[in-house]
Amino acid sequence: MSSPILEARGLMKSYDDGRVAALRGVDVSIDAGEYVTISGASGSGKSTLLHMLGGLDSPTSGEVLFRGSALGTAVNLDDFRSRQVGFIFQAFHLLPTLRAVENVQVAMLAINGRGNHRVERASALLEEMGLKDRMQHYPNELSAGERQRVAIARALANDPAILLADEPTGNLDSVNTGHIMEILRGIREQRGMTLVIVTHENDIALSAPRHIRIRDGRIENEKAGA
Amino acid sequence: MATQLSFTGFAWKNLRRRRLRTLLTLCGITMGIGAFVALVGFSRSFEHEWLRLYQNSGTDIAVLQSSLFNSSLDESLGPQISALPEVAAVAPLVFNLIDLTPDVNALVYGWPADSYEIASLKFTGGRSFRAHQPEVVLGDLLAQNLNKKPGDTLTILGETFTITGIFHGGTALETGAVIMPLDEMQTISSRQGKVTAFHVRLRPTPAGESYEQYVAKVQKEIEALEPGIRAEAAAERASNNQIVDMAHSVAWGTSSIALLIGIVGIANTMAMSVFERTREIGVLRALGWKGRHVILLILTEAGVLGLAGGLLGILVGVGALWVLSIMPQTASVVSMSVSPAHLVESLLIAVGSGLVAGAYPAWRGARLSPVEALRYE
Repeated sequence: MSSPILEARGLMKSYDDGRVAALRGVDVSIDAGEYVTISGASGSGKSTLLHMLGGLDSPTSGEVLFRGSALGTAVNLDDFRSRQVGFIFQAFHLLPTLRAVENVQVAMLAINGRGNHRVERASALLEEMGLKDRMQHYPNELSAGERQRVAIARALANDPAILLADEPTGNLDSVNTGHIMEILRGIREQRGMTLVIVTHENDIALSAPRHIRIRDGRIENEKAGA
Repeated sequence: MATQLSFTGFAWKNLRRRRLRTLLTLCGITMGIGAFVALVGFSRSFEHEWLRLYQNSGTDIAVLQSSLFNSSLDESLGPQISALPEVAAVAPLVFNLIDLTPDVNALVYGWPADSYEIASLKFTGGRSFRAHQPEVVLGDLLAQNLNKKPGDTLTILGETFTITGIFHGGTALETGAVIMPLDEMQTISSRQGKVTAFHVRLRPTPAGESYEQYVAKVQKEIEALEPGIRAEAAAERASNNQIVDMAHSVAWGTSSIALLIGIVGIANTMAMSVFERTREIGVLRALGWKGRHVILLILTEAGVLGLAGGLLGILVGVGALWVLSIMPQTASVVSMSVSPAHLVESLLIAVGSGLVAGAYPAWRGARLSPVEALRYE
């Protein structure tokens, strides 16, 4: 494999003046193009770790490196999130006032791309997600599976190097779960992206080549998966 | 065809989401700007009418008692001013705003029957008044409002006057005015031997001297005649006039309060909107929006509210001015003239108010931690 794209060193995160520890020293290194799943019980710190890796939150101590440079100091967090990372959330987090095609464009407004280019790119991504006929629909007019596909198109909008998904199938039935996982794996294979998925579903956790299990804010074990 | 999303488009969609709230906020800023357009427009048109009044009659200098609200000068000062070599004519006058009926008030002037200012009146019916007679002439708008014609009578402060003529006034101050002989006006207002002011017309400016220098020189000469008098150039008099000053102060004071209420309305709406959209702002930050993008979005929303409120406010304000200019109670002092500069100024104030009101909510939105905002329920 290639050199690490993301690296966490001694990552600790505590809340309430140190009374609640979410992460208690996590070291992890993820290579470019790798597919990793992170699982653990509720409150184990798996989502907190994903937020740190994606530059959404800052650690209490320790650091996250992107291609060897520290996030928040050498790498600007806003630039990192807009150009290098695509987030997918359990609750989709689409903006209710915007049509599907506009929701995808919202991500591109942050990097000041040309207007025509934004529409073309958003339309192409939605078409790739099988939503050609759903572009003009508002989120409340879409099924849960369709909403998550719009969210995936939005995560891909700025052609990031890393895709981070926090329980992406948590609100979906088994048919849609299968469909979304197929899409995510397909994207990773076709685009060579790094894919990190946080999940509490064992099937998904074990389907990745590398599976990290978190317990009480520490890495409990790492396994090679399917 | 897929829809293209812009910052402004996004802001507009956010405003449309809560239509009633947006509409009510718009009402607030509309009223504020409407009051500004109408009141400040009124006070400026009032000032403008004064200037036109002097220009129409050919008055170069107005002489008044200094620093008193109700100027009162001795009539005997007139011949002294006349004696100055640069002075072509002097017109003493007394004026006051008087209720003619419970609904109609008017500026009532007392002029000498041979005042040079009478030449600037264009009679559409009848003739001018005669000295020492209970006779008056009426501006055409006032005659229309009172439904009077030459030969009718008019009661002013308990005295009955015969209307001898109707004239077409060049300004709102004239078209709604009553003019009577100076001595009659002095009698009914108990100011025998006294006048409010003298209007002075100068001889042509001598060669080699500018008009301003010439007027300034004569002003000094007049002021040297008697202590406590003030000679003002006509243009200066139009803007420094205490009635105009008071109109300006009331207009700015009242419309500032109305604008402040509008600004607080926008600030409240934007603060509520940011609070309700905390999680959405978290999503935008997760997508890589910088703090300044969030600020830009919220300020655009506030600016659009200000702009829309400004445009509606201009319509309301111009409408209100139009109503004031035709109502008998106010037609004598208000003309329906709004300068484009006043409208541009109103629009800039409206957008500026929106931006000021949106500043704090925008700053708060930009400071939200992405992960905290995403967790927000």
